[in-house]
Amino acid sequence: MSESGPPKEPPGRGADVVWSIIGTLVAGVLAWGFIGWLLDQWLNTRFLVAVGIVVGMAGAFYLIIKRYGSG
Amino acid sequence: MRAPTLPLAAEREGFHAPGIEIFQWPDIVHLEVAGVDLSINRVVLQMFFVGLLVWGLFFFAFRRPKLVPSGLQNVMEAFVDFIRNQIVLEVIGRDGLRFMPYLTTLFVFVLFGNLGGIIPPILFPLNGRMALPAVMAICSLLLFISVGISSQGLAYFKNALFPPGIPWPVYILLTPIEFVSTFIVRPVTLAIRLLANMIAGHLILSVFFVATGYMLTSMNISTLFGLGALIFSVALIAFELFVAGLQAYVFTILSAVYIAGALEPEH
Repeated sequence: MSESGPPKEPPGRGADVVWSIIGTLVAGVLAWGFIGWLLDQWLNTRFLVAVGIVVGMAGAFYLIIKRYGSG
Repeated sequence: MRAPTLPLAAEREGFHAPGIEIFQWPDIVHLEVAGVDLSINRVVLQMFFVGLLVWGLFFFAFRRPKLVPSGLQNVMEAFVDFIRNQIVLEVIGRDGLRFMPYLTTLFVFVLFGNLGGIIPPILFPLNGRMALPAVMAICSLLLFISVGISSQGLAYFKNALFPPGIPWPVYILLTPIEFVSTFIVRPVTLAIRLLANMIAGHLILSVFFVATGYMLTSMNISTLFGLGALIFSVALIAFELFVAGLQAYVFTILSAVYIAGALEPEH
């Protein structure tokens, strides 16, 4: 988002934003869940996949707030 | 294999709801090339038919275009106008007019594929099988990646993977998310959204009509409910008509949004 006030927003962007937010949430869980799972396989542990999912979700929230949050 | 439109033959055995097996069709021509199954079944024939239909509609509509359109040209111009004004100009802007052919073809092809689900005697939504949604989603993926590379060069990947205005250590956390969300989740959701809507619609229609037929022929109090269901089924078909158009629109507009995102660096 640019600092200046919102320029003319085409109506089509609504769908863009909604799907992008959902996509980012899913992607966060998938990406870091997968990394955690890989680490689990490598280190022979079982909890890192859960840690990865939480980390990914947090990262996704951060990204969404950074990108679409009012500011 | 039971055709989805076949009324229930075994009345005395009770009601059997059609399940996911109505999406599986037996091979008409069995064909295998180098270990790859290229058999032709009803769905493949329907793909050929819809492809030919869309080609034919555009070909005959614009073969000898008139300044004052009439007939078929009028109808097809309505499609082109809709894509141009409601999707391309709204989402991408004038720069997007060069993607008109792809987006128009995509919209019309998805629409006619979906409409097969409610048009007798076809009564099968083409996009209820993963093949076409997957291939079209991959086409959109490859298109927006190449648009990004051709308009921004390799900086496209930098812009896509490293969102601006974030302290650099956070990229370790965010770049994998951005990668998965842009290059994996986008095409996968594009395909699954269309597929799932068509599967759900076709299942609902099938269960509803088989049940209506079962109730109407059961010759007891259920026959009355069957009459009610018959009337309601008209509304259900109208709803599927709406879904067919909506999903074609969503598929096309999201493809346009991804192209627009690749044309210029984000925000």
